[in-house]
Amino acid sequence: MIEKLSENVMDKVSIDFLRDQVLKNAYGNDDTPIAVLDPRVLLLWYLFFALVPWLLDDVAILLGMFILTAVTTRIARVAPLVLLIFALGVFSQTGYLFVASLFFGGDLSTVAPLLVLTLKVATVSLASITVFSGLDPDKLSNGLLWFGCPERLSFSIGFAYRILPILMEELQNILLSYRLRGRAPEHVTLAGKVRWIVYQIKTIVQSFYPLMLNTAKRSRTTVEALELKGYRYAATDKKVLKLKLSSLRAGHREAAFAALSAAWVALCFAAPGILEALS
Amino acid sequence: MSTIAEHGATQSQKLMVFVLSMSLYGLATLISELIPSVQIGIVELSVEFFLFIPLTLAMLFDPLSAALGAATGELVFSEIMLGQFGGLGELEKFLTVTIAVYIAGLMVRDPKSTKQVAIAAISGPAIQLAMSAVVDIVKVQVAVEDFEAVAGLPESVFATEGFAFANDLLFSGILFCLLPTMFLVPRLYGKIEPLLGCKPRSADTAAPSVSGRVIGWSAAGFIVAIVVACVSKAGLSIIEWEADWAESQTALFAGIAVAAVIAVVAAFWAYRTAQLRRA
Repeated sequence: MIEKLSENVMDKVSIDFLRDQVLKNAYGNDDTPIAVLDPRVLLLWYLFFALVPWLLDDVAILLGMFILTAVTTRIARVAPLVLLIFALGVFSQTGYLFVASLFFGGDLSTVAPLLVLTLKVATVSLASITVFSGLDPDKLSNGLLWFGCPERLSFSIGFAYRILPILMEELQNILLSYRLRGRAPEHVTLAGKVRWIVYQIKTIVQSFYPLMLNTAKRSRTTVEALELKGYRYAATDKKVLKLKLSSLRAGHREAAFAALSAAWVALCFAAPGILEALS
Repeated sequence: MSTIAEHGATQSQKLMVFVLSMSLYGLATLISELIPSVQIGIVELSVEFFLFIPLTLAMLFDPLSAALGAATGELVFSEIMLGQFGGLGELEKFLTVTIAVYIAGLMVRDPKSTKQVAIAAISGPAIQLAMSAVVDIVKVQVAVEDFEAVAGLPESVFATEGFAFANDLLFSGILFCLLPTMFLVPRLYGKIEPLLGCKPRSADTAAPSVSGRVIGWSAAGFIVAIVVACVSKAGLSIIEWEADWAESQTALFAGIAVAAVIAVVAAFWAYRTAQLRRA
């Protein structure tokens, strides 16, 4: 089982698959209703859904917010891989706690507080998936820049998406050349399995040696190209900022989106009162 | 604006180190996020520990740039790119990684000394793991309302966190931090520096070692990380306090709070727009 999983990960197919998924997630869906919205409005929307669930304890309201963020995630057409990681993440944050507390003599009464915690974590993560996966990186970094985030961060976001496919391909080539030259130990017996794992780990660590040297060359080229364009001075200049951010527009679409979200949240808060009045 | 900073590293070389550390560590964390963790019995070998990359770079180059680059890389590649951005929660990871790598980098005066490299390479993960264990415990105490009341929960949290700390330090710390760093630092020393156009670090050109000021700033950063984790606790008590008021007054206060938040957002929006127009 273990070697099967690891072999899968080492495989060319799966690295290509990862690269495709990440790129598709970044640039593949910029025609969704979420992606065309103004990044500033979406960031404010995210701020609300990242903070408010932590302050609430009512399962009904949390459930309503969770449904809303689930719907927006669906609209943003997020890549399946991201959703899988989200599911694993939610389980690893609260699921294992539940198992552990059962082990230490807790019973079903442990479930209720943990359900609340899980709903909070899930809502916040889905909101972040909607905003950070639904937007394309350039829009996202412009939005962050507008709110006064450091230029370094928005540069890093733009740079990361462009450099990642290149780096992944390079790492894969280095790993493959190590596999061509070396001979993996037999892994039938237990000792062989341990040797096999040690061998794989050693290969990964060793392949970072050429990768580090290559990336050092590349980062020097990058920084020198940036310097030629006056990056360090432009990063602190207001006029450049104005030029860069002049494409941001918030209009009717954004207003409609904000109004719909606000109406849904208000409905969630008011639901118990309405039900009481009806009965 | 002077381009020559103290200790001989220029601003553009610092930017190169930042870019190098960001792309390498970002790639590594992205991959480790996608690899299923290897389980041997109850001992989990979490392959999430690629900390040896920023540790190596912090020992060879300017520690602060390497540390900030690594933290930014993790944030951008594995959190924002995969949509796992947890908002304020990420600030805690960012701070702990920066502090740990920075201190480990400062501890090495002379990269040729095996002893110094070894001590620093194990102290880095130890600092980071200890800080994140403390923050995790505080976070669970805060998020689950009746922490003491839930049977078995306190013990299970302390036990899982303590076990995770020891397990991660002994397995990941030695396998993925100590050994790779001791393998890479002597090999890269003198080879990677010319690629970035700087001199190899020696005992007299190294950055000043760990001082009271550094420890003070690190402690401040750690406290910020804990406070961030506690924000929700404060939020809870405010809501409880409001609930003591009469029904109509609660609605009134909630209305005032919502209006205040909207006013602040609108004011910031107008201010920022005006500021950009003036530029």
